[in-house]
Amino acid sequence: MKILIVEDEKQLLDSMMTFLKESGMHCEKATTLAEAIEKIDLYTYDAVVLDIGLPDGSGLKVINEMQTKQNQTGIVIVSAKNSLDDRLVGLNFGADDYITKPFYMPELVARIKSVVRRRSFQGKNEIVFNEVRVIPDEMMMYVKDKLVSLTKKEHELLLYFLSNQNKVLTKESIAEHLWGDHADMADSFDFIYSHIKNLRKKMTDNGANDYLKSIYGVGYKLSSE
Amino acid sequence: MKLLNLTNRYYIAIALVLLMVSSAFLAYRVLYLVDNEVSENILYEKMEIEKQLSHQKNIQGKHIIFGDRIEVEPLEKFTTFRVRMIDTTFYDINLKMRVPYRQLTYEQLLDGKSYRIKIAQRLTETERLAEGVLATLLLVALDIIACFYFLNRWFSSKIWNPFYRALNILKTFDLQKGGATTFQRSKVDEFNALNAELSKLTDKVSRDYRNLREFTENMSHETQTPLAIIRSKLELLLQGSNLTETQVQQVLSTLDSVNRLSKMNKGLIMLTRIENEQYAGMQMLPMGKMLRKQVDDLEMFISSKNIQVHIDIDENVLVRMNQHLAEILITNLLSNAIKYNRENGDLFVRLSADTLEIANSGIPPVLSNDEIFDRFKKGDSPDSIGLGLAIVRKIIDHWGSRIKYEYKADLHTFTITLPNRVVGKV
Repeated sequence: MKILIVEDEKQLLDSMMTFLKESGMHCEKATTLAEAIEKIDLYTYDAVVLDIGLPDGSGLKVINEMQTKQNQTGIVIVSAKNSLDDRLVGLNFGADDYITKPFYMPELVARIKSVVRRRSFQGKNEIVFNEVRVIPDEMMMYVKDKLVSLTKKEHELLLYFLSNQNKVLTKESIAEHLWGDHADMADSFDFIYSHIKNLRKKMTDNGANDYLKSIYGVGYKLSSE
Repeated sequence: MKLLNLTNRYYIAIALVLLMVSSAFLAYRVLYLVDNEVSENILYEKMEIEKQLSHQKNIQGKHIIFGDRIEVEPLEKFTTFRVRMIDTTFYDINLKMRVPYRQLTYEQLLDGKSYRIKIAQRLTETERLAEGVLATLLLVALDIIACFYFLNRWFSSKIWNPFYRALNILKTFDLQKGGATTFQRSKVDEFNALNAELSKLTDKVSRDYRNLREFTENMSHETQTPLAIIRSKLELLLQGSNLTETQVQQVLSTLDSVNRLSKMNKGLIMLTRIENEQYAGMQMLPMGKMLRKQVDDLEMFISSKNIQVHIDIDENVLVRMNQHLAEILITNLLSNAIKYNRENGDLFVRLSADTLEIANSGIPPVLSNDEIFDRFKKGDSPDSIGLGLAIVRKIIDHWGSRIKYEYKADLHTFTITLPNRVVGKV
């Protein structure tokens, strides 16, 4: 998966590059609008992570440029402004998703992968992880070809883990992924625990290995090791 | 009390006292002079009579009455040199009543015979005079006071007019809307000076308020990127496998602080946005339906505490409001009512044509009814940011509505008066 990250904050750019690379993506970077447009013209990407506030202009111009090329590239806007207007303008311009700073890295990865899935396969593709198969648009998974139904939250949780394999996911990041603004409700961590317990049970009961590891005090990790 | 009435009251009180004292003095003086005059007249008459009697050779012990009230009465013998002057009354045949007189009585020897002479002078005129003087004075006093009162009112309202205008401008001055205040120029230097200072003051307050708002907004926005950097670095650190247990805990608690900062920022940005009228678009919203949906969304948190939800909703209530703000309002109130609820507690959601009421059971409040809506006031819940209810109140203010909080019968109750409501078919 080839990603272009357009971000003028060098430190943040470095972190994003590192994290996305560790997640198995090929990343290129652009720190200015001009550089971003140049790269878009020259190369093809699966997705572009786009900061709106660039030193030499609005990142929205990159979206314009891409639309004239009519390519299949997914666009995830990263903005410091969590405003409804910005979000609507961005999405109306043709962006696929919108994430506000400060974001959790695994969340960004999940958004990118989801956008690419939607763009490239219209969500019909499967995600295979050893003996587990998940179809993103349907709330079900196959364990060794046996259909297992999932609740909405379990499904979202599983997709989040599958997007971030072998990564430690903090409880905070999972809570925000599952409940957004309600993430800080008092007992959301307990719910994560019970969801994971249920998910793990559904997997192991149907013959899969226990891939969901608890990292004490930190969170969880999906790993086949 | 109005300044005008107060000054008038003092003026009238002083005028009354002065008028009373001076009219009393005047009346006394006039009466004294008139009285003196009467006495002098009698004495003068006495001299005249003495002169005339001394030329009269043929009285010879006769009882004589001159005119109306001069009487010469022969006596057996001379008894006294005393001259007496008394005030008395005589019956007046014409007037058919007793009339006051001053009478001078003395004895005199004429050709070896003694006579008692009485001279009387009517006092009626002097009494009337006194009454006249008093009446006139009273009339003048009343005139003066009335004129004083109305003129003072008129002058004052004319003179103080710029002051009241300025006061009105200040009353309608709205910091939220800002804008320059223009005061009318007046003939009075003091008022002009006051207005100039007020103008300066309101300008400064508006400017400061604007700056503060800009500062809050910029600060909150500009902090987001560094926060994103900190969070991303910490997340990278966490992914590494070479951290000790203690280091992991330190990274986690740092992440936690970053989360708090980030939430605080988001709350502050929300507050400034509402202040900056960035949620202007209004539409008719089915309040009942929105409430039900949000209760459903929060179902998991509700059932985990085993909270009983009591919903009493008039489905026909439509409110005119910005949709995004309405959602935030409902979310904040509901999650507040769940977060601070107790195990097996109750949650009431009542929507009628006039009010929306959200109530939850819970421990008695630590904060007062007003404090509860203040920024960063969070009672004894250290995990909270303390902006949720501040945002609620900001939305309510912006909406032009009112919210009331009270704790009674074990229930924390928030009551919102619905403006712009329309009851009809949804």
